[in-house]
Amino acid sequence: MRNYIRLFLFATCVCLYLTSCSDWFDTHPYDVNFKGDTDINERQIAVIESCFSEKDTLRVAFISDTHLWHSDARDGVADVNRRPDIDFVIHCGDLTDTGTAREFEWSREILQGLHHPFVALIGNHDFLGTGNQAYNVMYGDMDFSFIAGRVKFICLNTNATEYDYLAAVPNFDFLEEEMTKDSARFDRSILVMHAPPYSDQFNNNVCKAFRRYLDFLPGLMCCVYGHCHNNETNDYYDDGLMFYGIDCAEHRNYRIFTITPDGYEEELVYY
Amino acid sequence: MRVMASDSIYVSQIQESRYDRRIHSYRKHWAALIPTQFVIQNAGNMGILSAGIGWNYGHRKQWETDLLFGYIPEHQSSRGKLTTTLKENYIPWSVNSTFFLSSIRNKTIEQLSIEPLTASIYVNAVYGHEFWKSQPGRYPDKYYEFMSTKFRLNIALGQRITFQIPESKRKRNKNISIFYEVSSCDLYIRSLFQGNGISWDDIFGLSLGVKMQVL
Repeated sequence: MRNYIRLFLFATCVCLYLTSCSDWFDTHPYDVNFKGDTDINERQIAVIESCFSEKDTLRVAFISDTHLWHSDARDGVADVNRRPDIDFVIHCGDLTDTGTAREFEWSREILQGLHHPFVALIGNHDFLGTGNQAYNVMYGDMDFSFIAGRVKFICLNTNATEYDYLAAVPNFDFLEEEMTKDSARFDRSILVMHAPPYSDQFNNNVCKAFRRYLDFLPGLMCCVYGHCHNNETNDYYDDGLMFYGIDCAEHRNYRIFTITPDGYEEELVYY
Repeated sequence: MRVMASDSIYVSQIQESRYDRRIHSYRKHWAALIPTQFVIQNAGNMGILSAGIGWNYGHRKQWETDLLFGYIPEHQSSRGKLTTTLKENYIPWSVNSTFFLSSIRNKTIEQLSIEPLTASIYVNAVYGHEFWKSQPGRYPDKYYEFMSTKFRLNIALGQRITFQIPESKRKRNKNISIFYEVSSCDLYIRSLFQGNGISWDDIFGLSLGVKMQVL
């Protein structure tokens, strides 16, 4: 009997040891257990701000909605890498399809193939299960901003449906802070989000209030969004503020924005 | 007239009554619910470690149903989580062999059997407010139609070695099996078809376990 107990305990310990230290064993899709880089946005922003904060002309690539189209996403990364004139890359969300830790590792591996610095927003699919917790660990805060070439890039979580509209999404307090924070370091701004106003994820009760707030963002040039899996350009409010849609990986195209002191040019790139 | 010694056992009814038969079958049926085995295994998308009870049945005891309870540690999430698994195993073959196990104290003959294939299908439920059975009403119809975040359907293939314990040496168990399984869950299998560039070896995981056969 005692031998059995010993055998049993020994087997249990071996199993636990192997599970904790080997990639062969899967604890659970939503275990939020991954190795490798965490707090990616914070560290990439440090690179972006140190390299490009006073640069005259910025070239920014926007990609979005990787989901599970990994071959297409890899081709997209390879295509961005062929353009050394690009300064950094912004992923507009939906890094995963079902929010599992393994999918987060997969999409991170794809993005780490970029030769340029990059940041990533959270998409509605990245919330599933414990996906939001995984995003927090791997990328960081859901609302964040950084400054490059005297332009502030404000990245805003707009996935209100995921919270059943109970959370401060979009976070107006955050937007208010961003209007004045580091105001000496930027003159213009670009707003980046996953779900655009009037989409199924946006809190559509505040669409017009949201637009009012945008008037107070210094020199807002345009808005960029993902989620819709198309590359439409929309003037949602019929007032000249442009919203640029970034297509999903499956459709194999992305946008490059060239920002000069006079304005910006936008280019749609198919690969 | 009844003749009996003062110390003999008094047996008044030799014939089983209807009530006795009823109780006999009543006990027999409820006795089928007594677990025949205890199982403990790691990983397999059920938690870091799962343990539970099980029943084997069928002419050759080729079917097994296990009920397992697992634990997912906190890792980088907000807290640890509990899971429950209902698992069905099919063991088509069992190959018997005899070998001599030498120990320092004595030499004993041990019966050993190998199950070259086990096929399993199991449903795992994970508990916590962040997981839903089907998509909550806040979403438009068929928004995340393909899935539940709470329930995972898994499949596994594996192999076993079973050590038969000689009757003279039995204390708690009839036999003890050690096994391994290679498994994957619905989300990962779906990813092969839904997306592109994901390979088969990305989606499988290993699980090791012990089964103690009591009955």
